[in-house]
Amino acid sequence: MSAQDKRDTTELVQSSLQRRYAREKRFRFFGLAAITASLTFLAVLLITITLRGLPAFKQTFIQLDITLDAKTLGTDENPDTDALRKANYNGTIKNSLLALFPDVKKRADKKRLYKLVSNGAQYDLQRKVMADPSLIGETFTIWLPVGDDTNGYIQGNIDTTLPEKKRRFKDNQVQWVETLKENNQIERRFNYTFFERGDSREPEMAGIKGSLFGSMLTLTVTLLLSFPVAVATAIYLEEFAPKNRWTDIIEVNINNLAAVPSIVFGLLGLAIFINFFNLPRSAPIVGGLVLSLMTLPTIIISARAALKSVPPSIRDAALGVGASKLQVVFHHVLPLAMPGILTGTIIGMAQALGETAPLLMIGMVAFIVDVPTSLTDPATVLPVQIYQWADLPEKGFVEKTSAAIMVLLAFLIMMNAVAVYLRRKFERKW
Amino acid sequence: MNEEVTPLPSLEQDQTSEQTIEEIVASLGETVGEPRVDDPKMSVSNVNVFYAEKQAIFGVDLDIANNEVISMIGPSGCGKSTLLRCLNRMNDTIPICKVTGELMLDGEDIYGKDTDPVLLRARVGMVFQKPNPFPKSIYENVAYGPRLHGLNRNKADLDDIVVNSLKKAGIYNEVKNRLDESGTSLSGGQQQRLCIARTIACSPEVILMDEPCSALDPIATAKIEELIDELRENYAIAIVTHSMQQAARVSQRTAYFHLGKLVEVGDTDTIFTNPSHELTENYITGRFG
Amino acid sequence: MRTFNPEGHTAHAFDLELNEVKHKVMTMGGLVESMVHNGLEALLTMDQQIGLQVTEDDHKANQLELDIDEDCTRILARRQPAASDLRLVITIIKTITDLERIGDEAEKLGRIAVKLSNEANVPAYYKDLHHLGEHVKVMLRDALDAFTRMDVEAAFHTAAKDEAIDTEYSNFSRLMITHMMENPANVSHALDVSWCARSLERIADHACNICEYVIYLVEGQDIRHSNLDEMRKKLL
Repeated sequence: MSAQDKRDTTELVQSSLQRRYAREKRFRFFGLAAITASLTFLAVLLITITLRGLPAFKQTFIQLDITLDAKTLGTDENPDTDALRKANYNGTIKNSLLALFPDVKKRADKKRLYKLVSNGAQYDLQRKVMADPSLIGETFTIWLPVGDDTNGYIQGNIDTTLPEKKRRFKDNQVQWVETLKENNQIERRFNYTFFERGDSREPEMAGIKGSLFGSMLTLTVTLLLSFPVAVATAIYLEEFAPKNRWTDIIEVNINNLAAVPSIVFGLLGLAIFINFFNLPRSAPIVGGLVLSLMTLPTIIISARAALKSVPPSIRDAALGVGASKLQVVFHHVLPLAMPGILTGTIIGMAQALGETAPLLMIGMVAFIVDVPTSLTDPATVLPVQIYQWADLPEKGFVEKTSAAIMVLLAFLIMMNAVAVYLRRKFERKW
Repeated sequence: MNEEVTPLPSLEQDQTSEQTIEEIVASLGETVGEPRVDDPKMSVSNVNVFYAEKQAIFGVDLDIANNEVISMIGPSGCGKSTLLRCLNRMNDTIPICKVTGELMLDGEDIYGKDTDPVLLRARVGMVFQKPNPFPKSIYENVAYGPRLHGLNRNKADLDDIVVNSLKKAGIYNEVKNRLDESGTSLSGGQQQRLCIARTIACSPEVILMDEPCSALDPIATAKIEELIDELRENYAIAIVTHSMQQAARVSQRTAYFHLGKLVEVGDTDTIFTNPSHELTENYITGRFG
Repeated sequence: MRTFNPEGHTAHAFDLELNEVKHKVMTMGGLVESMVHNGLEALLTMDQQIGLQVTEDDHKANQLELDIDEDCTRILARRQPAASDLRLVITIIKTITDLERIGDEAEKLGRIAVKLSNEANVPAYYKDLHHLGEHVKVMLRDALDAFTRMDVEAAFHTAAKDEAIDTEYSNFSRLMITHMMENPANVSHALDVSWCARSLERIADHACNICEYVIYLVEGQDIRHSNLDEMRKKLL
């Protein structure tokens, strides 16, 4: 190569060099832009949900002096439990409200006055009295949850500048609440109800405990079923199965299964578990079974990938010192693949946690007030609960929906944190 | 730059376009030198190895003697590693691999019906190309084999085996204060010696080594070679190596393979000063393409 | 000044092999030294027995040379020695060639001694070899010592003696020529003795070579065909 040629080459390379650097710069810019965009969307989503949902964690309470006289309750002086349960607590609450504002006389005004206190407040009172029947005949002070509209007013959700006809919360109600506020008889407290109650038709009485427990039970079933089955399948397919047409078919089908729309699993669950095996509807056990079906392929695929990524030199080493095939797998390969398998499992479980469609098919969408305590109790799960609340018109449920989403997200983050912790714990260098 | 560059003639192309491998192997003729020894530890007779349809080893006869290092050398793909892996049936893990012929360990057929590959691998240990300690503690690495085979009666026994194996592998002094550290925290050469200790711990009779130094620096290599020389006193050793210098340094006998055929075998001294076969001469003098 | 250490290889066997071959060279050196001594002795005392002994020893020396050569070839082939190890092996290969030649020259002394002892009326010219022979013997012993101890200083010192021996040899030659001219009847005897002197001179030359090899081995500098004093100043 002559000196001339060399110089030409240098120039050529230099001229193309700038183009190449420019291209790299452009690519970096696009990447950065993409990340910024996705982060923005995420931030918007989180901020909206948080702003919407935060108020739901607070509940407004009203202080009332309750006089429990047997007459109003409609019981005798020493009622039995049954009578206590059926007693007219609503009447006593109404009486004490009327006592606060004695000048309310009109029927319509009375009705509005009664609406200040939640419809569910009677159950709070009932619980208190049933715990301590000696209260009957006494007068005592109690904090009771306010009604949905009142709660909305206190939170500033009701625009009082609108003409009275156009709003649900009327002028005299505003007046009463302001009076109560001045007397320090209105207070906002942390909303324990939200975490302690099941579903309710009244937003101020509705809680997520029922669906949270439902989710936990369902996920427990899913985990206990899908993890061992999936890991065993993955180990067999990866380490022991002969490579022939049959295993190829199985492999393809597992991959296809992972791509099947989840509602199909719901239909399958309905047909097999409920109609054929006669398992109870809306039960976590059926939900868990269906979600296991859905999660299995995900875990199998990730477990196989994890097993495959264990370096062959480790297998050689173990075989070389005379370990049997099974010992090689269980002493060396599986522990090394564990972090990967756990990651896949958590991803599968997170998917299952967020799944709604198949559960709708097996009836986990019913309105269930009681907190489930066993696998066969009717239950619902968090995402279904969110779906249900999102459908309801009351203002209080909008907040509850967002709050439930926050709880669901917290649950997910917790599961991921566990995954990260487990991975760290099991991870080893080789 | 104006001159046309003439393409270099490709050796491989010429070979495959005009002759099949079988024909070339046939043209190599009989093995030169004496493949047999008195009182062999392992004995290979007329062994052929197939990967599916492709034949990788052609009718090899070879003995491995006690207290001797035999090195197998040859260009890549000459079948030396394949043969080595047949000696403790590591090839069993490859489903398409088929072995014919006779492979004996102390006069027993190792591919016979009565021979268990797991037991065989305890008797015929193997050290691999890449140092591959288990990601466990140094102690556990060495203790794994004996525990597996139940060689120890109690914990003290096991401690003895571990310490002795590490001593024999010449690494004890370097690791005695950190037996509970991970085996992967050691340097490459130490890892390989740990792997040798792990193999020794199963008290094998034969040690197979598949390019044990190819991933190591020269100093680590020298230490391993010295170790191999010491181990010769108690074991029969077969070593596959890409480095003919290494073969010259560590072995007493050398076998040269070409395209799956054992071309020449003999005393290392003779092979490296006066080989009989032209291919051997070309290979060890670096005249191959 | 550099020092030479043939030990300390990671490959312990390499140490052993090098030591063994070095030991063999010393054995050969000792054998050759005794041959020179005996050859001279046979000549000076006209002892036929000792003369025959030297001839026999020459076979041993030749055999040792073959042995050591083979060892060196094996070391080269199997150990691929480098640097000082390589110089050691090369030095040994060269040294044994010189030692073998010394053996040949010694054998020549022995043979001539046997031949002369079989003849009558041999003039005592050979007695004059005594002085030259002693010098050569000392020089050979010093050269071998220098080799054994890898002593550069001693090697320089010994190599320098070659010049004196050359001078002595030319003096001796002149003496013989004088003898031949004075007494033409004894020319053949005088020639024999001249050959012996020539052999002794060659032995000194070989000893000098050995010294040069030692310097090459330790210092890595080939000082042949260059000025000894300059090299000495440069190296020491």
